[in-house]
Amino acid sequence: MPVPAWLIRPGTVPYDVANAVMHRLAERRLADEIPDTVILLEHPPVFTAGRRAKADELLWSPDEVEARGGLVRMIDRGGSFTFHGPGQLVGYPILGLGSRPDAVDYLRRLEEAVIGICADIGVASERRADVQTGVWVGDDKICAIGVRLMRARVTLHGFALNCETDLSWFRGIVACGLPDRGQTSLSDQLGRRVGVADVLPLAERHLAEVFDLAFEPAPREIVTAFQVADAV
Amino acid sequence: MATQQVEAGAAGHGAEPRGKRGEDGQATYLIAIAEALWEEMERDDRVFMLGEDIGVYGGAFKVTEGFIDRFGPERVMDTPIAEETIVGMSVGAAMEGLRPVAEFQYADFMSSGFDEITTVLSRYHYRAGVPLPVVLRGPSGGGVRASSFHSINPEPWYAYAGGIKIMCPAFPSDAKGLLKSAIRDDNPSLFLEHKWIYRRIKEQVSEDPELLVPIGSADVKREGSDVSIITYGAMVHKALEAADALARRGISAEIVDLRTVYPLDEETILRSIEKTSRALVLYESYRFLGIGTEVAAVIAEKAFEHLDAPVVRLAPPNVPVPFSPPLEDAFLPQIADIEAAVDRLAGW
Amino acid sequence: MTSIQMPQLGETIVEGTILKWLKREGDAVARDEPLFEISTDKVDTEVPSPVAGTVTKILVDEGATVPVGTALMEISEAGGAASGDAASGGAASSSASGAAPSSDAVAAPSTGAASSEGSSAAPPAAPVAPAAPVAPAAPAVAPAVAAVGTMPDRGPRSQILSPLVRRLAKEHDLDLAQIAGTGSGGRITKADVMAVISSGGQVASATAGATAPATAPAQPMPAPSAGIGEEIVPVSHIRRAIAEHMLASTQTSARAWTMVEVNVDHLVKLRERIKATFQDRYGVKITYLPMVVRATVDALLEYPDVNARLDGDNIVRHRFVNMGIAVSYDAGLIVPVIKGADGMNTIGVARAIADLAARARSHQLRPDEVQGATFTITNPGPYGSVASVPIINQPNVGILSFDAIVKRPVVIDDAIAIRSMVNISMSWDHRVIDGELATRFLARVKENLETWDFAEDLGV
Repeated sequence: MPVPAWLIRPGTVPYDVANAVMHRLAERRLADEIPDTVILLEHPPVFTAGRRAKADELLWSPDEVEARGGLVRMIDRGGSFTFHGPGQLVGYPILGLGSRPDAVDYLRRLEEAVIGICADIGVASERRADVQTGVWVGDDKICAIGVRLMRARVTLHGFALNCETDLSWFRGIVACGLPDRGQTSLSDQLGRRVGVADVLPLAERHLAEVFDLAFEPAPREIVTAFQVADAV
Repeated sequence: MATQQVEAGAAGHGAEPRGKRGEDGQATYLIAIAEALWEEMERDDRVFMLGEDIGVYGGAFKVTEGFIDRFGPERVMDTPIAEETIVGMSVGAAMEGLRPVAEFQYADFMSSGFDEITTVLSRYHYRAGVPLPVVLRGPSGGGVRASSFHSINPEPWYAYAGGIKIMCPAFPSDAKGLLKSAIRDDNPSLFLEHKWIYRRIKEQVSEDPELLVPIGSADVKREGSDVSIITYGAMVHKALEAADALARRGISAEIVDLRTVYPLDEETILRSIEKTSRALVLYESYRFLGIGTEVAAVIAEKAFEHLDAPVVRLAPPNVPVPFSPPLEDAFLPQIADIEAAVDRLAGW
Repeated sequence: MTSIQMPQLGETIVEGTILKWLKREGDAVARDEPLFEISTDKVDTEVPSPVAGTVTKILVDEGATVPVGTALMEISEAGGAASGDAASGGAASSSASGAAPSSDAVAAPSTGAASSEGSSAAPPAAPVAPAAPVAPAAPAVAPAVAAVGTMPDRGPRSQILSPLVRRLAKEHDLDLAQIAGTGSGGRITKADVMAVISSGGQVASATAGATAPATAPAQPMPAPSAGIGEEIVPVSHIRRAIAEHMLASTQTSARAWTMVEVNVDHLVKLRERIKATFQDRYGVKITYLPMVVRATVDALLEYPDVNARLDGDNIVRHRFVNMGIAVSYDAGLIVPVIKGADGMNTIGVARAIADLAARARSHQLRPDEVQGATFTITNPGPYGSVASVPIINQPNVGILSFDAIVKRPVVIDDAIAIRSMVNISMSWDHRVIDGELATRFLARVKENLETWDFAEDLGV
């Protein structure tokens, strides 16, 4: 029986705002005040560094990043550096995994959902257990996946699927700590423009399917929390 | 106000030539102080200066470069290395109606004249009814790798005496206006110039020789709503940087620059706490019994019902200022420490 | 003594690295408070404590990588604090305890769901408007407490009232017990209090929906004489019985009322599809009422406080459901009871309803068939009302009204669609339950109706 869940699509949201709201929603999910929630959005350009990121994996200086209009953020997920920016569909499922969470199963399902989305668009992709979590087309990563748990049972962060991302941004980092691998996008693979808007409905469907969710729109005040302007 | 961090010389120790005001009219903290001295010397003949190397050499930090040519050796007086005598001479001169401004090459050395300052200078008006308009000034503070003999923050020692007004400005305009007020004030004052700031901070400074900053008035250097950082001296600049970083994370910090540490401007401090309900007292004098201890007590006593979190102090430990750079960095509150303290307050 | 081990976060994860201890030896820890941060090759997380107590021993250093199952730390529990609830603080226990404050929360930590028993002595009235739910009570390692002994236990730091919070509450005449704290550990912060003040103060703790004022018991009226344009109809004994029961009910229960809107589009389609087959196979008509009964039975078993009665100073929760079904007939109103409705599937309920209704209308119900209801459902929908405020069938705690199903425009995914919608509401006794529980109960009924696949249960 599908479980009711909230779907939030707030458009383009600055990273700090989205990160803060995501954490607040996860706390409320922990307390069972809200149902499972999935956020699908885009970010302005930002490099995020997980726990395993090393300083020398940021190849551009912070000044250079800023000059290009990007930000650098150290965050609480595992993994190394990655990039988020316009043209990339970012998904933050905030799901309760129960008191005996199976994080590996969760990651596998995320990969499965993304592989399904790519297939619907016409791009054949796969998981590469021999390399790293994420979704791959050959040796290039088309979707990064990085996850953290709150109190070992609610999921945070999620996935970032390149639709028409400007891949040159990835030159600023050793992405995911893998110097020998490249990036690709749906547009890149198909030779035609595939935007986030095209992919959103597929994302909804596949996420609902792999996690057995019945989406409904979240209450308005939750959605408007994403629209609060950054404090600066 | 627009301030800028300017390229500093090595360790602020001495031998660089005094720069002029920039073409944009901005003055460094050091130049602003020199201007105050010059203007007050011109305005009132009774004002004279004494200290080690201030005349012929122009001062260890070159604050008084050029003064002796303009004002002569009787008003820009080189003394032996004898701090107690310097204070004693100042006391005597003031008794006779002069207005001495005594320079100490490093504020650390003032303690050689400790008895003269605390037993005589601070109490004389109480004992004899004769005001002593003496200004003791010198470079204080650390962060320049000058170690424990050249980095002290001595203000708590002399605040304890009661009877001496003590100023620790953080910005050039404040420094100029406060020093002028101190020279014109008939009470003994201690004017501490933080050496880290000397050449690093510059801003537009007024050329009006009558523009004074009142002693005993604090100033809000940055408005905010989530937490008040009460601070002074070089820590003001660290706090401002930390506030920028905090703002990017959605925390709005208000920064209150004490400017004068004795007497405290309680009204400005309490007004800030009423606004934000959270207080971080950030100071460079030692944590135990430093200036911030008094500020924290005032807040706890007089703003109790406005507090949504305990009053927190952030200051270095009571140990000699280290010489090794990583140790000195660990000793001083850094921007990350300020941020972490604010985070704890905000999350209480 | 509880031993905390390196958890297994996934089937193929065999080891983890301790990134940081968040508690030191000697520190107190509340249930579900984070103990340490770990990193595995798949995922990072902080690990919460399954119990409240004090950390007695840390066995592994920061930075060490150890296999799953390795003992990492020992916690000695606070006296009697171990509650049977799973470490996940799962929905069931926390939602049930959400309504129950314990006025001596400082002393013994309240054990999860059971704490509402016997707490009928003046629970703080929660605002009835279905506001954001309060964080569920964690069994408290009670910190130093402000002298406000009646603060509900909403987290390990929910009893801490800063000087500012206390002053603001006093100046604005606020009841802090009604404010949920969003600060760390459940502390009521300045922001929480300011939010209440700037939104115009607190909802008065009166219950929603007017309670009928207590009137003096009716004196027998002298027999009137008919005037012009009047007709006199003597009250039948059934009418009198109904009148007495209704009046007594309004004078007994502190009645409040809550409503939810339910999308029953799929049920309407289902019924259309199967009604012929059902009638053929089972000999009775299938209406929506059996489905509502089934959905409600499930909710009653989940929220036993709604399936209860108040007996003096005790709340008696029933472990079975006898569902009263209000039936309208020529003499007025009667409420036959489906005994053991919790043991029936939808077919059984449909049959029972058909049987009881038929015999009610033909005046053939036995006395025991109109007694013993633990909860009641009324269905005025067929007569056209879209919302009703029924009177509680004593000694129940609630009565659910299922009104007319109407096709209405609704918003789905930011577009307007036409769906069959129905309002389901409940009058409930505020002496026994609070708004939050009533709302959760109805939300459960709604969820059941909206998500269950009845086709299977209907055998078609």
